[in-house]
Amino acid sequence: MPVFLKMSGSIILRSFGRFLVPFTIHRKKGVLCSTILQRSMSSKIPTVSYPKKESTSPPEQLGLDGWKITMKSSMQEEDASAVSSSKDEDPLVAIRELIEMWRLFGKEVPEQISEEELKSAMGCVSKSSKKKYLKYLYIKEKIKKAKQIKKEMKAALKEKAKKDQLLETTKEDKQQNFLFLRLWDRNMDIAMGWKGIQAMRFGQPLVFDMDYENYMKPKELQSTVSQLLESEGWNRRNVDPFHIYFCNLKVEGAYHKELVKRYGEKWDKLLLTATEKSHVDLFPKDSIIYLTADSPNVMTTFKHDKIYIVGSFVDKAMQTGTSLAKAKRLNLATECLPLDRYLQWDTGTKNLTLDQMMRILLCLKNTGSWEEALKFVPRRKHTGFMEISRHSQELVNRLKKSKPFNSFPKGSLNIHTQKRWLE
Amino acid sequence: MMTFCFTGIRSLPKLWKSNPYLSVGPGHSYFSLFLKDCCGIRNQQKWFSLKAVSPQNTKAVNLLIAKARYLRKGDEGSNKQVSSDSHLFAAGAAKKRSQMNTHREDHALPPVRNTIQLPTRPLNSEEWDKFKEDFKGKANFESWIISQMADCHSSIDVAKSLLAWVAAKNNGIVGYDLLVKYLYLCVFHKHISEVIDVYEIMKARYKRLEPGGYTLLIQGLIHSDRWKEALLLLEDIKKVMIPSKKNYNDCIEGALLHQDVNLAWNLYQELLGHNLIPMLKTLKTFFDFGKNIKDDQYSNKLLDILLYLRNNHLYPGESFAHSIKTWFESVPGEQWKGQFTTIQESGQCSGCGKTIESIHLSPEEYEFLKEKIMRDVIDGGDQYKKTTPQELERFQNFVKCCPPFDIVIDGLNVAKTFPKARESQVLLHVVSQLAKQNLQLLVLGRKHMLTQHSRWRKDEMKKVQKQASCFFADNISADDPFLLYATLHSGNHCKFITKDLMRDHKACLHDAKTQRLFFKWQQGHQLAIINRLPGSKITFQRIPSYDTVVQTTGDSWHIPYDEDLLERYSYEVPTKWLCLHRKT
Repeated sequence: MPVFLKMSGSIILRSFGRFLVPFTIHRKKGVLCSTILQRSMSSKIPTVSYPKKESTSPPEQLGLDGWKITMKSSMQEEDASAVSSSKDEDPLVAIRELIEMWRLFGKEVPEQISEEELKSAMGCVSKSSKKKYLKYLYIKEKIKKAKQIKKEMKAALKEKAKKDQLLETTKEDKQQNFLFLRLWDRNMDIAMGWKGIQAMRFGQPLVFDMDYENYMKPKELQSTVSQLLESEGWNRRNVDPFHIYFCNLKVEGAYHKELVKRYGEKWDKLLLTATEKSHVDLFPKDSIIYLTADSPNVMTTFKHDKIYIVGSFVDKAMQTGTSLAKAKRLNLATECLPLDRYLQWDTGTKNLTLDQMMRILLCLKNTGSWEEALKFVPRRKHTGFMEISRHSQELVNRLKKSKPFNSFPKGSLNIHTQKRWLE
Repeated sequence: MMTFCFTGIRSLPKLWKSNPYLSVGPGHSYFSLFLKDCCGIRNQQKWFSLKAVSPQNTKAVNLLIAKARYLRKGDEGSNKQVSSDSHLFAAGAAKKRSQMNTHREDHALPPVRNTIQLPTRPLNSEEWDKFKEDFKGKANFESWIISQMADCHSSIDVAKSLLAWVAAKNNGIVGYDLLVKYLYLCVFHKHISEVIDVYEIMKARYKRLEPGGYTLLIQGLIHSDRWKEALLLLEDIKKVMIPSKKNYNDCIEGALLHQDVNLAWNLYQELLGHNLIPMLKTLKTFFDFGKNIKDDQYSNKLLDILLYLRNNHLYPGESFAHSIKTWFESVPGEQWKGQFTTIQESGQCSGCGKTIESIHLSPEEYEFLKEKIMRDVIDGGDQYKKTTPQELERFQNFVKCCPPFDIVIDGLNVAKTFPKARESQVLLHVVSQLAKQNLQLLVLGRKHMLTQHSRWRKDEMKKVQKQASCFFADNISADDPFLLYATLHSGNHCKFITKDLMRDHKACLHDAKTQRLFFKWQQGHQLAIINRLPGSKITFQRIPSYDTVVQTTGDSWHIPYDEDLLERYSYEVPTKWLCLHRKT
């Protein structure tokens, strides 16, 4: 037992994982660690060489236990330097060490973890939730790294291209005639702004019901806001945008905070109506249609005089019937998309994301064709369109071949914006 | 320290042993299909395998599949008899149902692992180097090969030679993951001295380990003289997370192995304190150890364990049941006699003739459950989710003013029992048969059943309404919660007819205790139609009259247990019992 207590002093974790990577462990240990590193690198290894390295040829005399001596001998090394470490157990330190050991073991945990993330990892009640959270951080870290590498590569390529161009331009400095300056992005923004204002005045309302704050966990709320952002973007680029309403949006509520955080300064300049009021206060009840996948009524046509409501709710906890209950409570008409009528459904829930809903509704509004609109249903969820008639079948086939992006009406502003989006 | 010397093994071809997994040679593929045995016993799968040399041979394969299907059909015939004498929630019943309903295509190929041949003797570094060159794969060779060795339980000397090679390449350092997997092999082969060695190394190298390493160390150390250090490791785990029930199991086992009874019980209490459900193995260990202890206090604690099983609706396994029997029979002066038996339909033990506890709830339990169903299942925080307040009121008024019912029928479920017959006809058939027995009936349905339709004939529905009280909920309301409430409201004698197992409604109840109450009530009150043909006389699944739970009358114990070979679903109960009584 006394031996055991000795070790609880200080072994610096990272040192064994990656020897040469200079790192900063929190607080004072960083300095200490690097000294150990240097010492173990410089002095220890030459002296304690692998004992039977040379005499391994006859299999009977394999030095099977030799490695243990080296492994154990590090003990004295640390004992000498184990003075400064604190005996009192900080749970944060303990969990950091645990994560480090998990990393050494090959588990999916992040390499670097901030104090804040560490605290939320500690806040996870169960072991599995801890692992889940750490895996999430691990994936996040990986994506970030990959992006970083890509960015660097791109920068290098750009640099090279610039150099080449510079060489070329110095050779022949030719004046060319242009009609426009290169200000496409700004022009497009302004044009979209104009259209947005027109939609605010004369557009068909589309309501996002934000009354689901209490049903969601922070993560779900974040993805809802991401989807809202994307929906708003799709709407802005359309030929004939909706007038978007964010109803039941409580000021300083979780939704509001997240939206303001994501939009930043742009939030106050958005061409949509955000209100704390409910949709039933703003519009006549009989013109409201609540869209929910649980509805028994199937939507047959898009009506231009109705006000469609989409619940901004990402439901990962399978709370079925929440939005239907809401509509029932307010005695509103409900409808669901005719997914089964037009698609051979395969897997996945019939709940679509908000941006998919937005694109489908926009498409319906502009073309009125279900086949066209339901292209925005993720391809993995269905095996194909139902065979309704030869004509529509042909249409479907054509759609399948062409990419969804390119099939927008030509000649509209859309085609430019789409291009920009793709770039 | 243990070192094995392999002498005389020189010829290389012998050194490579073929892998235990199915190895697929070129030009051949094994096509195997297996049939589940009719009794649903997993271990009795019959394997048919044949070599499909070429695609032309598919005919033969198809023939075999057809034959297998035919065999299974034959099995189904016998199933009919089997299913009629066991009740809906009897162990294995679900398995049987699933086999009756579906022709599962079980003839998929077993997963063929792409494995290499692992060495069977320690290799020297040159051999390892060569081995590594031959290896083609994305993963890190060292960790991949040791994982393979761990999977195949290679001898530790081979693993050790790998570590020695890694250490030699790497300035005497072996990675943590390699060490843990090596430790796994040591623990698996019960090489205590090696475990201790690795333990020393880990202590020297790392300040803290991850739970996997701790678990292995604890598992290894408890068999050694230094078993007390396993407890220190347990403490270390506690600093970051709650130890697993396996950790506790190992520590308790270690304590009992070294005769430290108090420590074992303390650890057991701690385990319960963390709200962990102990492994049945742990409890069995206490019983096994109890045979040698003649101590009242210890005996009482063992009886406490039995009560714990009762309260949590846990059922011992077959070997555990044997341990319990042996312990009871070893208690001096009390002359217990145990036998393995079954319970008759009347609820009497075939062994001693005593009546088993009734399936019916006590009045307090009944009221409690009724309230919970109303609050959690029907209301559930938002009345609009399953119904509307108006409808709920209409329903409550309806239930209040009607006389208590004898049978509540889930109209839609019953009507759809026979897919080929017309819905309203089936419903009428069931209702009129029951009405003849002078039973007060309630049929629950949805409003759409009343509108004229080719499958819902108005005249037949009228006849139904004449013979039974009916309540039709809105088309988008859930009807099951109403069924539950109407049955509960009518009183203990009232039963309900549906084939639905009501698992989703059970899940709406929040705590495990209420769920168990619900399950007990459900077992005692649910009638399920087992007829397979429409038009015949309606017969129901047998309702057990007794509750399947560990129980005592002081001088007798009745303990249901799980047979080793029978697969029981979580919502089923065992059918085999251990009957213990004192000789008088």
